[in-house]
Amino acid sequence: MIEIRQLAKAFALEKGQKLSEAELQDVRYTGRSFCSVRDVSFSCARGEVLGLLGPNGAGKTTTLRMLSTALKPDAGSILLGNEDVLKDPVLARRKIGFLSSSTGLYGRLTAFENVAYFARLHGMSELALRQRIDELFTMLDMHSFASRRAELMSSGMKQKTAIARAVVHSPALVVLDEPTTGLDIMTTQTVLDFIRGLKAAGTPVIFSTHHLDEVSSLCDRVVVINQGISAFDDSLSAFSNLSSNGDLREAFMTVIKGEAKSCGKSI
Amino acid sequence: MWQVYIKELLELSRDRKTLMFVILLPILIFPVIFGLIALVAANVTASKQAEEHRYVIIHAERAPAFAEKLFYHKNFKQVSTELTEPEALRQAVRDGKFDLAVVIPADFDASSPTLAQSQWTVIYNTAPVLDLVGNYLKDLVKDYSRQLQLARLEAVGITGDQVDAVLEPVKINKISSAENREDLGEKLGGWIAYLLVPLCFMGCSYPAIDIGAGEKERGTLETLLICPISRTNLVLGKFMTVLTTGLATALITVLSFGGWGYLIGSLAGVDVIAKAMAALGLTDLLLILAMLIPLTMIFASVLLSLSIYARSFKEAQNYIGPMSILVFVPLALALLPGVELTWKTALIPMTNISLCIKELVKGTIDMGILSLVIASTVVLAGVLIAVCVHWFQREKVLFR
Repeated sequence: MIEIRQLAKAFALEKGQKLSEAELQDVRYTGRSFCSVRDVSFSCARGEVLGLLGPNGAGKTTTLRMLSTALKPDAGSILLGNEDVLKDPVLARRKIGFLSSSTGLYGRLTAFENVAYFARLHGMSELALRQRIDELFTMLDMHSFASRRAELMSSGMKQKTAIARAVVHSPALVVLDEPTTGLDIMTTQTVLDFIRGLKAAGTPVIFSTHHLDEVSSLCDRVVVINQGISAFDDSLSAFSNLSSNGDLREAFMTVIKGEAKSCGKSI
Repeated sequence: MWQVYIKELLELSRDRKTLMFVILLPILIFPVIFGLIALVAANVTASKQAEEHRYVIIHAERAPAFAEKLFYHKNFKQVSTELTEPEALRQAVRDGKFDLAVVIPADFDASSPTLAQSQWTVIYNTAPVLDLVGNYLKDLVKDYSRQLQLARLEAVGITGDQVDAVLEPVKINKISSAENREDLGEKLGGWIAYLLVPLCFMGCSYPAIDIGAGEKERGTLETLLICPISRTNLVLGKFMTVLTTGLATALITVLSFGGWGYLIGSLAGVDVIAKAMAALGLTDLLLILAMLIPLTMIFASVLLSLSIYARSFKEAQNYIGPMSILVFVPLALALLPGVELTWKTALIPMTNISLCIKELVKGTIDMGILSLVIASTVVLAGVLIAVCVHWFQREKVLFR
């Protein structure tokens, strides 16, 4: 289980940086800094899939970056099981699999080499990494392009490689930042099936998305972040109930407009 | 750290630009410098020497011996003109009607016993660097003047043998104490650093941009930062990669320099290069390489720091572009006359390496100062590596 409490993160504005009209009205701009995340708390239990929603610029990516230890929070805590992620980030990274919003592959390396490189960085032996890569490539149907350089791959191939790379070390928590953006229907289905596979294996999955149909078909919990605050954190059914007819789009708008606030823990 | 290093090298080895900067350029730069420029210069000189210059001579009848010398010179061809005034002749030269006008004063008399100096005027285009017309004229006038000197002195009773004693009572015969090598080193040594050091810089610059800013731009840095490896190891792995490519460039450059120098000097018979190569031993080449190692460490750490700071490949190029020009400043300083390798100049980064290479080529290196140069460069490199590592820990830099 992962538990995030009152995370906050501010970034200093660059000297001479001009703010737009919309930014001036954003409460997160204070003096010379921008408070991207002000107060985000949620948890994700074993076997749960948590959908992280929010408008663009709400603070989702910053939250996920803190969760993955790429960024250090200014305040708050992150507990993975009983371990404090912030105290020993290097150790925590062994247990977290993170897929950033860009595929982040090395163009001049093949699919196999990309995944193997990260497996080695996670300290896997050559034998173990070959077995694991073979298993992942079968699951994600990647054998046909295993020796193709990333710069020559299609978007779908790249995303599959990025997912394989994120989970090659069999992490205890998987964090995916918009994993299906820009993918065709077939590849999207493969990715969603893969997430279901993780869920079935008991791995908690946190993923941010703008696709509400994915939320309805995959998620157990929903967290909505708005202006750096977790504005909603509850079960999918509680989220769905925010609208009169179960329409998630309407439910989302209700949260964003500030007409609903729930921090229940029921599923 | 080594996993990062191996992966970076593998990726760079598949990049054509890196291969070009690290391998191809150092191999080709010397034949280009030694061979091509020499070839072009030789061809240009040969074609210039074969050129025929049209001339006019005003009042030729006043100096028939000189006019005859000019007439029979293989590079001059006489043409006729009605012009006599210097300004009109100058305009005619500018208009391309002829290339040279020699104006002998109308009152000049070669056989006159009066000891008055005669002022002649020559009009031609003096702008070209290779002033062959001027050189030809100088030789002709010198020859003609000597002829007049002999005639005039003999007229007052001084024989031909005594003429030299009258005109040049003391003549100096120079015997240089400097060995051939020292002489060559003084002339060529500074230029060797001028070639080697920028190549090392170039060898570092592209890989540094690619694995710093390039990684940021491609979005791979973020993924790398969440791997269970400390940021210190991460940046050191990258640093080692940049250092390796820089040193590979240096090594290939030194080998290429040695190889091509030997080939062009011995086989193609270019005398100056043959002498220079004969003066340099294997130890000297190894010492040059030893000095380039800490220098390349400095380049690697500075370039990597800049590259990591940049948001994109282009921004990194904008920072590093002007730096590649700045590199030449301390090197040019070492080429200035009077700038020698001393205990003080041994502490000026890059200038010290340049001066050291010069002394090595001359064969007059002071081992104490050489040690100080290497030590001071290593210390500076260490400090800059520490800055680079510290830089890489900062979120403000990584997530700009």
